[in-house]
Amino acid sequence: MLPHSTANNDDILAVSGLNVSYGESKVLFDIALSVQPRQIVACVGRNGAGKTTLLKSIAGFLKPTSGSITSDHIDLVGRKSYDIAKMGIKYVPQDKKVFSDLTVRENLELGSYATQDYNWDRVIDYFPKLKELMDRKAGFLSGGERQMLMIGRSLLGNPKVLLIDEPTEGLAPSIVAHLRNVFTELSKNSALVIVEQNLPLVCAISSKVYAVKEGRIVAELADPDSIKADVCERYL
Amino acid sequence: MIKAFRWWWGILLAFSLLAVTRAFLPLAFINEVVIFSIYTMGCSFLLGRVGFISFGQPAYLAVGAYGTAFYLFYFGTNPYIGILLGVLSGLIVSGIVGPLFVRLRSDYFALVNLALAVIIYYLMQKVLADITKGDNGLWFLTNIASTPLLDLGKPNHFFIFALLVALAVWAFYKYLDDSIYGACCLATKINEDKLEFLGYSNYSVRLLAFIIANTTTALAGSMYAVYLGFVSPEITSPARAADPVVVTILGGVGTLYGPLVGAFAYTGMKDVISKLIGNWELFIGFLLVFIMLAGEKGIWGTLQPLLEKLLFRKKRTAGTADGKEAH
Repeated sequence: MLPHSTANNDDILAVSGLNVSYGESKVLFDIALSVQPRQIVACVGRNGAGKTTLLKSIAGFLKPTSGSITSDHIDLVGRKSYDIAKMGIKYVPQDKKVFSDLTVRENLELGSYATQDYNWDRVIDYFPKLKELMDRKAGFLSGGERQMLMIGRSLLGNPKVLLIDEPTEGLAPSIVAHLRNVFTELSKNSALVIVEQNLPLVCAISSKVYAVKEGRIVAELADPDSIKADVCERYL
Repeated sequence: MIKAFRWWWGILLAFSLLAVTRAFLPLAFINEVVIFSIYTMGCSFLLGRVGFISFGQPAYLAVGAYGTAFYLFYFGTNPYIGILLGVLSGLIVSGIVGPLFVRLRSDYFALVNLALAVIIYYLMQKVLADITKGDNGLWFLTNIASTPLLDLGKPNHFFIFALLVALAVWAFYKYLDDSIYGACCLATKINEDKLEFLGYSNYSVRLLAFIIANTTTALAGSMYAVYLGFVSPEITSPARAADPVVVTILGGVGTLYGPLVGAFAYTGMKDVISKLIGNWELFIGFLLVFIMLAGEKGIWGTLQPLLEKLLFRKKRTAGTADGKEAH
């Protein structure tokens, strides 16, 4: 059994003893993790391991059966998902579904209005291509462009934690390389929790990796020497 | 100035065309179209923007109509105050039932609204018959006082008033469509979870949309009351519950001018066909099924892209011609 996560007072996000069920079926078992400001933390694991459930529970979309989730010592359990988003903990889902009937500009405006942050310079700096696509309906964007829009939109309001679910799934290598640089840059301002199966990417950018297997955290790798693709793979 | 004109020109053109039809169509028909289009606007907003189908719109129509009728029958004579009270009644009722109804999924939402229409029908017909005069209804045409500028007791003046009100309603909905709130409404229809990722409460977005839409419907009800000078429980008859939904689909769901085009087409069909054959409802039913099967975008939903294409092509041709001259 893995000991409880090495949580401390500096954590911007701390999860402990988290149990989540879908009806009768228990999905997460006694999960503990901690994230510090400006840290990139990755959760790796096979499909169905419970990684997305973990992010959704943190983001307030699933109610845990027990356990605690805190951010800056504020309990998040029981809070509405939109309250958690307003607190600066933004979830970027896996499916890359944007508001397809709205333009890129309108999608960004939605993010701006919610956060009252109308400065898009940072978004455009990270994703210059979005500038050319402002008036295009989001439904007509490619997978990579949609991912840029979703991450870009979540940057508005300067979030303290970004929960990003499978960001590189199905994307071209050039876009993956671009996202890798973006994530490294983003970590200068925000903490990132990334669920990802691309182990080379994970190992290149993360300062901590949690291996998730069958709803349990089976390994916590925080030592740079141990954050290697072959080491991670051993736990999957 | 040019920006303001660009924003307004579509609305002004639509209502100018409607005003012109006054020259060759009966006034009663045009008045009916204008009020019916306002009635449909609320339903269209709910269905097209928020994704809620409501078979209970007659309930809110009746609330507005009776709000106006009670004032004009029992208390006062000023039709403008009557309309204001009708709108206020709609605002209050939708503010009371809205917090309960908008929590429901779209199919249950449709049914619970229909149930409300049935409740109001029986309230007006039986339970409150001493006040509402039951099936006989409230007659107050002669109670309506003359007012300066636009005397709403006169059909010609009422027509101008109805056009101005409709113009304001369309401008308001166009503003909503263009606003962030309009985008929020569409976003909650497309994917409610994703709207919450951004920090919005779906419940609040839907509740506001519900109140706006049903207050608009109540406005139509109060205008019917003043125009006809009569209100009976028949206005909230469940048999007419599908009318605004049908007109919304006929005009084009979620389009700004769909309710106007739909109301014009529906009232026109009803008017023409009922003069030709006895069981006109049956014929219209078949015709509507055919229209909806032929093009689910509705009349305006089909015409709009064609018109835009035509206008765009003309503009492009003009642009090319200008370019040639410049060279």
